[in-house]
This record gives sequence, structure tokens and C-alpha cells, in this order.
Amino acid sequence: MVTHTVSKKKILLVDDEPALTRMLRLNLEQTGRFEVREENRGTNALRAARDFRPDLIFLDVMMPDIGGDEVAEQLKQDPELRKIKYAFLTAIVTKRETGTGAAEISGETFLAKPVKRDELLAVVDELLAE
Amino acid sequence: MSDAPDRPAPAPTAAPAAAPDSANPPCVLLVDDIPANLRVLYESLNGRDYRLLVANGGAQALDIAERSRPDLILLDIMMPDMDGFEVCRRLKENADTADIAVVFLSALDDAADKIHGLELGAVDYVTKPFHPDEVAARVETHCKILRLERELGQRNRQLELVRDRILHSMVEGVVGLDVEGRVSFFNPAAERMLGQAAARLLTHEIANWEPAPLRDTAITVLAERREVSVDELALPQADGSTLPVELRAAPIADADYPAGAVLVLRDLSERRRVEAKLHRTSSELSRSHRELRAAQMQLVQAAKLESVGRLAAGVAHEVKNPLAIVQLGLDFLEQVISFDEISTQVLADMQQALSRADTVVRGLLDFSRERELDLRPYAVNKAIRNSLQLVRHELTQRNIAVRTELDVDIPDRPFDADKLQQVFLNLFMNAMHAMERDGTLSIRSDYAPVTAADLGPHARDAGFLPGEHVIRIAIEDTGPGIAPADLGRLFDPYFTTKRQGEGTGLGLSVTRNIVTLHGGSIDLENRPDGGARALLLFPPQNAPADTAPQQAESVAIGHAHPPSATQW
Ligand SMILES: Nc1ncnc2c1ncn2[C@@H]1O[C@H](COP(=O)(O)OP(=O)(O)O)[C@@H](O)[C@H]1O
Ligand SMILES: [Mg+2]
Repeated sequence: MVTHTVSKKKILLVDDEPALTRMLRLNLEQTGRFEVREENRGTNALRAARDFRPDLIFLDVMMPDIGGDEVAEQLKQDPELRKIKYAFLTAIVTKRETGTGAAEISGETFLAKPVKRDELLAVVDELLAE
Repeated sequence: MSDAPDRPAPAPTAAPAAAPDSANPPCVLLVDDIPANLRVLYESLNGRDYRLLVANGGAQALDIAERSRPDLILLDIMMPDMDGFEVCRRLKENADTADIAVVFLSALDDAADKIHGLELGAVDYVTKPFHPDEVAARVETHCKILRLERELGQRNRQLELVRDRILHSMVEGVVGLDVEGRVSFFNPAAERMLGQAAARLLTHEIANWEPAPLRDTAITVLAERREVSVDELALPQADGSTLPVELRAAPIADADYPAGAVLVLRDLSERRRVEAKLHRTSSELSRSHRELRAAQMQLVQAAKLESVGRLAAGVAHEVKNPLAIVQLGLDFLEQVISFDEISTQVLADMQQALSRADTVVRGLLDFSRERELDLRPYAVNKAIRNSLQLVRHELTQRNIAVRTELDVDIPDRPFDADKLQQVFLNLFMNAMHAMERDGTLSIRSDYAPVTAADLGPHARDAGFLPGEHVIRIAIEDTGPGIAPADLGRLFDPYFTTKRQGEGTGLGLSVTRNIVTLHGGSIDLENRPDGGARALLLFPPQNAPADTAPQQAESVAIGHAHPPSATQW
């Protein structure tokens, strides 16, 4: 169990909806394979990332203070953070466009809300395996 | 106007020689072999306003008559060298002297002789011994008659000249016919219009005239002595073309005495040209109107989509987060709690409700996205078959038969294949839902001229015109049809008669948007024998402003110029 804990991958969830980040966290943590942190203010995303050093970040595209795409842009500009993988959560891109699981749109990965637990885990595994 | 058929259009006749008048007194030739008689005659007339010539024998009389052309000859009958009758006969024989008036002088008071003289063409008779006053009176009378006759002739010729000038300058063709149906004259316009027929009219019996309508008209007007007209007849021309003319025939009224008929021809080619031009202009107008309507419709659609789209995106965002929370919450609970049978069923129902809610929201988003088309040449029949494939299973389950009649000659045209399939899928689903179980779904497609009956409100709005070649798709079901009150609202977004959760009311709205973006139209109506019918029309080319106009143009011209050869 100890070795397991050590190799846990870290995932940062950025969405302005606390209930959603909580549900995502519970589902991810329930697998026992991930360490998860929630951030409900887009503008805090960068600081949280520097703090937490995640392997993967989920970004809500539409947040009231800052867009997920802008956060992604800042991540890419930051020499320390630019290696971190990220994916967008979106309510606008439909499942028809993403299919089930994630879709690549102009080089970015999108997950359509409402995402199902199975889809979520599949996408996480895929992104972390790269 | 020639009296002779071999001179169809002669130049107007030359002015005749001047008639006798005061500056040019009448010339009278006195002929008698007896000098005493000659003297009496001479004395009777001398001093009055005549030019007098004398001859003492028949031969000399003829000689002088030919050279001097007197107006009147007083001619003795009994002469030794040639009697007066013979002189008269010869005068009348010679065209140059035939017009000279002859008055016989003779002692013979024999009725038979007088008659013989008049038969030879004499105008009068004076019996010897003559009284100078009587001679003078007779001569004066005859000169007056002569003058009047000549004046009348001249007046006639002037009238003829005027008539000729009128006929010559007329744009109408005029053909004169005598009672027998022989052409007595025709003017240059008639000659031009008749073209090849002109010669035939002159050389053939009326019964053999061509073309037939011309012959029949001429025969009828002469036989029935009433006006006859032919609105349009085609006269073959030397260059192989035909000239459209209007023909009117009228009998020439001459009291009760039939005097022939006139045919009046009017060249219609200029009128036809103007009509064709008008037709073109009006079809151009209706085309621009149609383009305007189409552009306007697209603007309206775009504006509607714009606002619906914005709304949809907002709603989707607001709804999708809660959906996601519930979804992930359920998923989590399923992982951590072990449920009994009933709870498992509850969970399944909740999962299903969630996915239905998601479908509705997704439909909204789809709807907001119908603005762009990915156009490629595509066969409409292919989209029909693909969409059918998607519902085939459900149709079989519901025991609904499918009948298709897909015309193989429909040209490909630019379509967004996915969206077109969505259109048919929506329509098939609606038909299926309407029929519920048992029934027939028929799908017909063809490429044909659209009829007025095909044009529903949307088709008319989209500017389709009867006769225009279009791709036509009819989808018919044997369901209950549409309530009349709903007919006007079917295509409104969110209009549905289905239970909550079963219909979004967006199917037809999306469908019409897609069809409109393709430059087409869709109308839904009730079939007379029950059930509903959806009729889709697409112009063979996509953009109404692009290639479609040429298409419409050629159609319009085709209507304006029926091949005139078929008229015969
Ligand atoms: N083939 C049909 N027969 C009878 N009614 C129809 C047919 N197609 C559509 N309708 C009517 O039009 C309404 C709107 O259709 P649509 O826009 O596709 O939305 P929905 O199918 O979700 O109700 C339907 O609810 C139904 O009342
Ligand atoms: Mg529907």
C-alpha cells in the first residue's frame, strides 16, 4: 500500500462549481490511484499548480473570472509549469463532437459535460500514459 | 398595282397626257371627199375654239389621224377610196388612234347604217344635209364629253397614284383578289411577308395555295363573303425560317355585286420579339425577387439562429454543470454503496433520465450550430438510403412497411451530407412516431418541373416558380396527419405535441433551417387520403445567386419560343 501511495499521480481540478470538482475528486480518489486537489477560482489556478505540482490539470473552459483557455495559455508560458498536461472540461462542445471520451480540437483535449465516471477515468489514464 | 398578275408590284403609273383645255383647244378632223361639204363643215366650226384639220379621203384621214391625233373626227361614210366604216374600223384597230371619238356624216338615213357605225365604235351620227349650227352643237357636246372623260380619267389616275403610294408605304401586306380568286394586286410589304408563298399565289389556282391556312382563309372569304381572320400563321421564308403573321381577310363590298376580297397581313415578328423581351424581363424580375426572398429568408434564419444559438449555449452551460454533478454523483454512489434490487432499479432510472436530459440539451446545441454547411456534390438518394438504414430496425419492430421510388436521374448537387441525413432522419422519425405501429412510409424522389400544386408556403417564400426543374423528395406516412390548428406552427422551435421528454419540438425547426441553408424548401401537409406528407424541393444548383439564374433563364426562353415548326 505504501508504494502505491508514493506513485499516486496528482490531479488539479479547476472549475468554478465546487460541487462538480467535489464529484470529480470523489470519483478519482475512489480508485485509490490519484491525489486530487480542487480549485474553484480560475485566477488561483496558476498558484495552485505551482504549489501542488500536478501531473494533470482539468480546466473548465467557461469560468466567471478567467477562461480555461487563458489559464492554459499562462501554463504554457511558464517555464516551470509548461510540461504539465491539461485537458478542458466544457459544456459547449457537444458529445457529438467529442464522441465518448475526449476529443482533440486544434491540438487540445476536450471532455464534454456531463462526463461519466468511466469516460473520465479512461481519459485520465490516456493522458497520463503519454 | 398592276391589273396583270405577272406584275405583282409595279411602280405607280406615269401621269397621263394633258386633257384638252383652253390653252390646248380640241382638235377636230373633218373628212369628206366633196370639197363643198368640207367647206360647210369648216365654216360651221371656224371661229370657235377648235383646231381644225381636213382630209378629202379615207386614206388621208387615217394618215392625219395617226400623225396629229385629233380629239374628234367628223367622218363621211361614202368616199371613193375607202368608206367611212372602214376608216373607223382601222382607227379602232390601232391602239394609238382607238381613243379618238368618231362622228359619222352621211346622207344615208338608214337605221341599219347608223347601228353599223355605232357598232364600229362611233359616238354619234350627223345626217346630211347638215345644218352648221347642228354640226357645231354636236361637236361641242362631244368635245365637252371628251374633256370630262379625260378629266375623269386623270382624276382616277391620281386616285390610283394616291392609293399606290398608300399601299406602298403600308407596313401591312395587302393582297387583292378578284371574284375568281386571282390575285389582282399586292403591295411590297405583302410580297416581302409572303416570301416563298408569293410566287405560288400568282401561279397556282387558289385551291393549291400554300400554306393551308392562307388558302382556307382566301377560299372562305370569297365563298362566304364575310370577314375571316387567323391570329397567327407562319409563312415560310426563302432562308428556311418562318415569319409569324396575323391574317385578316375581308370581302370587297360593292353593293350586291361581289367584287373580290382583300387579304391584310401583319408582321408579328416584332411583336413576338417585344413579347419575348417582356417575358425575359419579367422572369428576370421574378428571379431577382426570388433571390431577394431567399437572401432575406437566410438573414431571418441567421438572426433567429443567432439568438436561439446564444440562448442555447447559455442554457446548455447552465444545465450541463448540474447534469455533470448528478451524473458523477450517481457514478460515485454506485461505486461505494451496495444497492438492493429496488435501489438498483432506481439508480438505473436516474441514469436514464440523466441521459435523456443530456440529449435534450445536446439537441439545443446542435440546433444552435446549423449555420455552417460543409458542401460537396452529393446524391440526395444516398442520404435517403443512409437515413433509412438508421431507422430500419425500429421500422421493422413497429411493423411499418417502407416503399421507395428513387429516381436514378437526379443530378448530384452540393449538399452537407451529414446535415441532409439529419433532415431525413428527423422526418422519418416524425413519420414513425405519428404512425406508432403498422403503416407505410413512402419515399419518392425525382428531378422534374415543379407544379403549382407542389408549391407550399415555404416553397413560394423560397421563390420556386412553377415549371422550374427541381429535385423533389416526398415523404408520406399513413399516420393520423396534422391537426389543422397546428399546421402553421410545426416548424416553430420548441413546438411539439409529444409528451414531455419524448419530443423537443426542434426536429422540424432544425430540418427547415438545414433545408433553407441549402437553398431548398420544406412544406408539410395532410394527404387527402390520410396521413402527412413532407415535400422537399432543392434547386439543382446550390446558391440561388450563383448558377441557378442561368438555369431559370433557359427555362424562361424555352417557354417564350415554342418551336414554330410544330404549328404546321
Ligand atoms: N409525420 C407527421 N405526422 C403528424 N404530425 C407530425 C408529423 N411530423 C411532425 N408532426 C408534428 O409536428 C410536431 C413538431 O415536430 P418536430 O419539430 O420534429 O418536433 P418533435 O418531433 O420533437 O415533436 C410534432 O410534435 C408533431 O405534432
Ligand atoms: Mg421530431
